[in-house]
Amino acid sequence: MSASAASSTNATTGSAMIADLWTWRILKWVVAICVAIVAVFPIWWMINVVFADPGVPVSINPRLYPTSLHSGLSKIYTILAETEYLRAYFITIAYALLTILGVLFIGSMAAFEFALFEFPGKRVLFGMVMLSLMVPTVVTIIPTYLLVAELGWLNSMQGLVVPGLASAFGLFMLVQFMRSLPMEMIEAARLDGASHFKIYWYIALPLSKNAMVTLAILTFMRTWGNFAWPLIVAPKPEVYTVGQVVGLFNAPYSHQTVDVVMTANLLAVVPPLIFFLIFQRKIVEGIAMSGTKG
Amino acid sequence: MADLEIKSVSKSFGSVEVLKDINLKINSGEFVVFVGPSGCGKSTLLRMITGLEAETSGDILIDGKRVNGVDPARRGTAMVFQSYALYPHMTVAENMGFGLKMAGETKAAIRDKVEQAAATLRLEKLLERRPGQLSGGQKQRVAIGRAIVRNPKVFLFDEPLSNLDAELRVQMRAELIELHRRLGTTMIFVTHDQVEAMTLADRIVVMNAGVVQQYGRPLDLYDDPDNRFVGGFIGSPKMNFLEASVAEATPDHVVLDKIAGSDRSLRLPFSGFDRSIKQVAIGIRPEHVSLGAGAADEIPLAVSFAEELGDVTYVHGKLPAGSPVTIRSDKTRYGGKESGNMALDPSGIRLFDPDGRRLRGNGS
Repeated sequence: MSASAASSTNATTGSAMIADLWTWRILKWVVAICVAIVAVFPIWWMINVVFADPGVPVSINPRLYPTSLHSGLSKIYTILAETEYLRAYFITIAYALLTILGVLFIGSMAAFEFALFEFPGKRVLFGMVMLSLMVPTVVTIIPTYLLVAELGWLNSMQGLVVPGLASAFGLFMLVQFMRSLPMEMIEAARLDGASHFKIYWYIALPLSKNAMVTLAILTFMRTWGNFAWPLIVAPKPEVYTVGQVVGLFNAPYSHQTVDVVMTANLLAVVPPLIFFLIFQRKIVEGIAMSGTKG
Repeated sequence: MADLEIKSVSKSFGSVEVLKDINLKINSGEFVVFVGPSGCGKSTLLRMITGLEAETSGDILIDGKRVNGVDPARRGTAMVFQSYALYPHMTVAENMGFGLKMAGETKAAIRDKVEQAAATLRLEKLLERRPGQLSGGQKQRVAIGRAIVRNPKVFLFDEPLSNLDAELRVQMRAELIELHRRLGTTMIFVTHDQVEAMTLADRIVVMNAGVVQQYGRPLDLYDDPDNRFVGGFIGSPKMNFLEASVAEATPDHVVLDKIAGSDRSLRLPFSGFDRSIKQVAIGIRPEHVSLGAGAADEIPLAVSFAEELGDVTYVHGKLPAGSPVTIRSDKTRYGGKESGNMALDPSGIRLFDPDGRRLRGNGS
């Protein structure tokens, strides 16, 4: 009798535990879905507004689904064909790609030296680079602007790109990664007759591929979304980046309807979104690795 | 094939002197093993030969040519690292051909040489694999292959077998001996495992605290150590050391008493014993000690445990002074006795002074 009582108590405790587990699991999902809705809703709303029937604005007749594909596509066509958006697109892609290439090339070469070799003043130099990470961009933006202006680089691609090439953050990230490369491998390459540059090119660089991809992604996201620097260094409409063009659409006197403004916004979001969907795992790893959003 | 000469080489890292006045001459085609405990400087010496470390003083000569300051790739040496240091992003063939590619050889020449080396090391079927897809033994062979394709004058091995399991290590040892026989190249091998040293070497360099303790043929080191360190380091189980007092020294004999804290004494033939030495250590290998039958000159022993390995039995015990002792007692079974006696075979006794230097009689 007492044995059966004990077993029934056990069964009750067991089912209580399972119920607890389920509650916890459901709660987690509810929270996750809520966060996802908050994150996705603005983008969805943007799509909703862009792909709406003409003459039936969402603001008057709110709904949560798009109603006209054709209307959205024609708005996109109008923006690409009748404004300078496409040129801004190419300029921004060139700006992003050149910055990525430069940051990777300069950062990886510097990181190779800092991580794997000893030279006089190494610690002091690296300390200075790291200190520069603590200086907010706003503080350096005016002196950098003056320098770029002095060089005659205003409204030029080099004016946009060059100041962003020496990335302290990129150097820090690559140094951390390259420090984990086995010294014996570098020595083996020396014994194999590889020169200093060839060790970098054939050994260190391919082995740092993961860190380089992460840095490339973070640099892309930083460059594509950069608004302040292009705004002050390239004020001429011919060299506007996507950020500035979208800014024009959003300006108080732009005389554009909300759906057109939203289309411009949507077009600006598409490349980073595609980038994110392709590289999302690397981006998450990269953010975890760098401990910052870049 | 090349001679290698190391003349008065020293190496310091800051104020720490890790190698002190090293002098060695390695003949062409010899297989020499540097052996010693961790931190004795053997790997540093190897790295200096290959040019990865600079000498603080002294000269290194390969085939009579001074190579101090010569680029590692131009010394004619090739090294196999402890971790193998294979390039993980390259295939086996690319790993092996990397040195040739850096030397500017044509693709066809690289392929020929790599295939030749791969055939020597039975790697033909693995050429397109990457290091991550290989076993430890295969990686080892690729690392050796990478060294072979460069056709070096001197092969250097830095503890290359230490990452392998016991069985594979024995197999790779045999392969290395075979490879040395076939190539006939000068080989220098660093290890802290004295069994590895004994099995591989034509000659062994025993090192401790940055100093060469002894350089010679394996059995010469085993039978005739120059000092207590070499006696204790070479041989497994280790040589037993029993402290004793010098009771009497005549021109052709020495009498030792209070051996290992017992009241036993021993008369040994020894010509010209230095009478100023009052205390000595008797070095005797386990095979020269036996469990006694209770004779008067035997030393009492407290048995700790026995290792019955089949072909041999080692009995471990403690002597009256508390010093440990190992006795090789073949073909006997340990009867569980907790005490007994041990007898020393005088022909196996080596004497060491209190500073650990070997005491040798005149003419021996």
